[in-house]
This record gives sequence, structure tokens and C-alpha cells, in this order.
Amino acid sequence: MIKKDEVLKMAKLAKLSVDENEIEQLIEDMSKIIEYADSINNVAETVDVEFDNINNIVNAFNEDIVLDSYDRDEILKNREGGENGYFVIRKSIRG
Amino acid sequence: MSKIKYLKSLLETKEISCVELTKKYLNSIEKQNNIINAYVNVTVEEAIKTAKKVDEKIAAGEKLMPLEGIPMSRKDNISTKNIETTCCSKMLQGYYPIYDATVWKILQDQNSVLLGKTNMDEFAMGSSCESSIYGATLNPHNTDYVAGGSSGGAAASVKGNMAAFGLGSDTGGSIRQPASFCGLVGFKPTYGTVSRYGVVAYASSLDQVGPITNSVEDAAIVYDCLSLFDPKDATSIGSKISTVDKLNSSIKGLKIGIAEEYFEGINEDIKSSIDEAIKAYEDAGAQIIHFQMPKLHAVLPVYFIISCAEASSNLGRFDGIRYGYKTDSYKDIEEMICKNRSEGFGKEVQRRMLLGTYVLSSGYYDAYYKKAQNLRYSIIQDFKKIFESCDVILTPSVPVTAFKKGEALIDPIATYMMDICTVPVNIAGLPAISVPCGFDRNKMPIGMQLIGNSFEDYKVLNAAYQYEKQTKNIGETSSYPEVEI
Repeated sequence: MIKKDEVLKMAKLAKLSVDENEIEQLIEDMSKIIEYADSINNVAETVDVEFDNINNIVNAFNEDIVLDSYDRDEILKNREGGENGYFVIRKSIRG
Repeated sequence: MSKIKYLKSLLETKEISCVELTKKYLNSIEKQNNIINAYVNVTVEEAIKTAKKVDEKIAAGEKLMPLEGIPMSRKDNISTKNIETTCCSKMLQGYYPIYDATVWKILQDQNSVLLGKTNMDEFAMGSSCESSIYGATLNPHNTDYVAGGSSGGAAASVKGNMAAFGLGSDTGGSIRQPASFCGLVGFKPTYGTVSRYGVVAYASSLDQVGPITNSVEDAAIVYDCLSLFDPKDATSIGSKISTVDKLNSSIKGLKIGIAEEYFEGINEDIKSSIDEAIKAYEDAGAQIIHFQMPKLHAVLPVYFIISCAEASSNLGRFDGIRYGYKTDSYKDIEEMICKNRSEGFGKEVQRRMLLGTYVLSSGYYDAYYKKAQNLRYSIIQDFKKIFESCDVILTPSVPVTAFKKGEALIDPIATYMMDICTVPVNIAGLPAISVPCGFDRNKMPIGMQLIGNSFEDYKVLNAAYQYEKQTKNIGETSSYPEVEI
């Protein structure tokens, strides 16, 4: 059974805030799933080789060719055009 | 018969113009979408613009490319420049990508007609299309049931004759399961053959884009167009084999593997439909080989650990600063990011991110993530061994037929279990197809899955094609209405 403080720690790491009213249900759901995930330990025969990638792809080294990047104004369109070429967030000072 | 080839022949013989054809599909969407909810965004202008371009080419007597002028739909996690791409999440409502996914670029180059973007479970996490911010997609075969998920909108668009084919993505069965629920063909290609560039990532080592179609031949046509090497995707390999050219290979002597573990707990109607399919293959000269797969029971927890771990990492990018959902009030930047994410993501997505963070966190990494990766390696070796003596593996696509509305939400864990037949394919990066193989007692479609070895997509497609040809009366594929839409 996962504990409340563990759930809160995971939420902090995942940058999520958990609603007090929902935490009991979340603990119950997560516990069930983790209990199920534990069943991988019932598989006796396995190998100590960690999976790397499906098709055994190795790094491809390319020439460092400079290509056109995206237009700054295009990027800022998703934030109402930004301000002076920057993304804007409200000024906040920690008290 | 291939719907794509049929529509193309109508265009080439000028029996119908591409604009007329596109309008027929748009009308069909207008008539049905308020009930079915397959589309979350219908791109009328874009569609008509492309259709006009195709008509100009036809008028100039130019030869059409394989998907040119064919009206299609696309899942809402495939980026389309300047067209809203939301993953059906509040987090991305109002987000307009500044680049195209490679798969869409390929289809644009083919002048394929994009009718719109289709509904899905939020960030592709689900199997009933009910976790979408836009509400559930209903099954056009019977609207008391859902279309499945996560590519439920893509499947419903094809089943409801609102698109000639649909593009979906498959992380644990999200193409094959809705195809099975709707009585369609769903093809998940070998990992690496179709580019993932521009497809919003859920679990990068498992995700793969593929088609949902009316027939196996259509799936092969779309796959052949999409399976190109893409330098923008580090895991891209592409494929140089034309699967369409190999569709008429004889299946005499084809070795079909059957593992009893795939059949545990499946419903009786599905069992008897699959048995009939096996018999059809035997009658056609295929050889049935029985084998065991004891690790199948471990595949689901392995999948769950790996997919949640990758999701927690992939979805870390959504901070709401550069795009996406933005909260109104906050004290500081930490609170702003937490609020953006907690208010922007739905419950299922948050649960998976928390679980993913848990299995990756210090103290649990070895017990869960590392162990799952070890097992993944071991499962891949098991499949390799099986394919030394089999050409394809035959299983049910899903242990059940379509869920009734709301059914999948009652017990999420029980619903996860329904992915048992589809998930191993993603874990091992294999190609697999779901083909209709009958109906249950409620007249809901049943799907059969064929799995092949990596890069033997052509074998899977041909085996499915031969079955479809032989059993025209069983599958829904042959009874779709032609173009009267």
C-alpha cells in the first residue's frame, strides 16, 4: 500500500498538486496498480540484460549543418505574440 | 475490395471530382458527427483547397499518387502546422503547432485530403475514448457502445463513412483495439518503420503510427506511403519493401503460431470465431504450430511500468509557459507550473504520471523500472525464438467485444487487463494487424490479430489479406457502402 506522504512526494516531483479531497481515492488506485506491477517479481526466469532499444540502433553521427530554425514570432503566436520577443509570465517574488 | 483504389478509380475516370467527393464526406460528417463524435475539428477549408488542387491535376491529365485526392482523418495527437492539435486535453486546447508531423508531411505531398482531426483518449491514455475533453466517441456499428481507444475517433470516422481511411497511433493497442471494436482493419507497423516526428509522445519506445481502414489492401497502401526513413526521428529506419506487391503471395505452408495463454479468459463467441479463422487458414494450406508463452502474464505489468515511466518523462515538457493551458492566479513560478499541469491534465493522465514518477524514483527504480526493462529484453528474445519456427502468430485482438458506454470507467484496472493481446506487440516492437473475423451474440464485431516478426510487415498483411479474401461473408470489410455517402 502506497502511503500518503509518498503520493505527495511523487506529486511534488511530477509538479502536480493533489487535491485533499481526492487523495484517498488516488492512494487506493495507485496502490492497486502498484500491487499489480509487483507481479513482475513472480517471473522466475529472466536475464540480467537491460533493454536498450528495439532495433539495436546505434548513434548516427551527422555533419553539423546549420539549417533554418523556426521564426520567433511564429513560436510566440501560441502565447499571444509574447512581449518584445519573450514569453511573459507575471512577476512573482517569493515572500 | 480496396476503398482507396475504388475512390481513386472514380477520380481518374472523372466519374466524380475530388471536390464533389470531399463534399460528400463533409456532408456525412455534418449528418453524423453530433452523435458519433468522431471528429473534434473538421478542416473544411483545408479539405476543399486540397481537393481543388487534385482536380486541377486530373484536368491536366496528370497521374495520381496512391493517396492523392483520398479524403482521410487524423488522430488529434499528430501535429499539423497552423491547425489546432489538442491530444483531446485541456492542456493543449488552443495550441497551434508550428511544424508538421512527418506522416502528415508525406500525406500533404501526396495531396491526401485532410477532413479533420479525430477524437482520442486524452494523450492517448485509455481504451474507450471516454477520457477525451470532448466526450466519448460512439461506435457507428451500434451507438450503445463506444468505438474503443485510444484512436476511437479515427476508427469511428472510417466505420461511419466519414473518411476513407484514418491515421491513428498505437502504444499498447490503440489502433488495433478500436479497429476490432468497430469491425475494421487496424495495422500497427514494426517500430521504426513509420516516423514518430511530430506525433505527441506518450511512451516513445512503444508509440507507432498506423492506418485504420476498411480493408487489408487499404492498410498496405497507406503503410507503403508512410514507411519512409526520416532523419528527424532518431529511431526511424523506414522500409523499402512494397507490401502491396506482396499481397498475393500464397499462404500454402505458412506457419501460424498459436499460444494458449492468449486465449485464457476470452469470451466464448470470440473463441469460436477465432477457431473458425484457424480452420479457414488450415483449409488454405497453412500449418498450425502450438507453442507456449509463459511470460505473457508478465507483459501487462511490464508495459504499465515502462509506459507510465516514459509518459511521466515525456509529459514533463508541458509547463504551460510557451504554449498550452495557463492558470489565472499563482503566487510564484513553482505554483504556476503545478497549477497549469494539475488544472490542464485529466485524472487518468495525472495518475499515470504519478505512477511513472514512482517507478523511476530513487529506491523503486531497481524494483520496478530496471526489472521491467530486464523482462522486456527477455520477452523480445522469446518472440525471436518463436519466429524461428513460425511466420505469424494468431491471437484474438481483444478478449472482449466493444464496451458499453461508461463500462470502461467503472474499474480502470480491469480495463487495463483487456490490453493483454495487443500490448506484447508494442513491448517487442513487432508488426500486427487486427482483422474482422465475425460477430458476437450481440452482433458486435470480433477482431483477430496476426503478429509478425520485425520488418516482416508484408507477411502479416498478406496473411490477413488472404484470410479476408477467403472469408468475405464473415468480415464487415466487404459490406461497407461504396461511395453513397
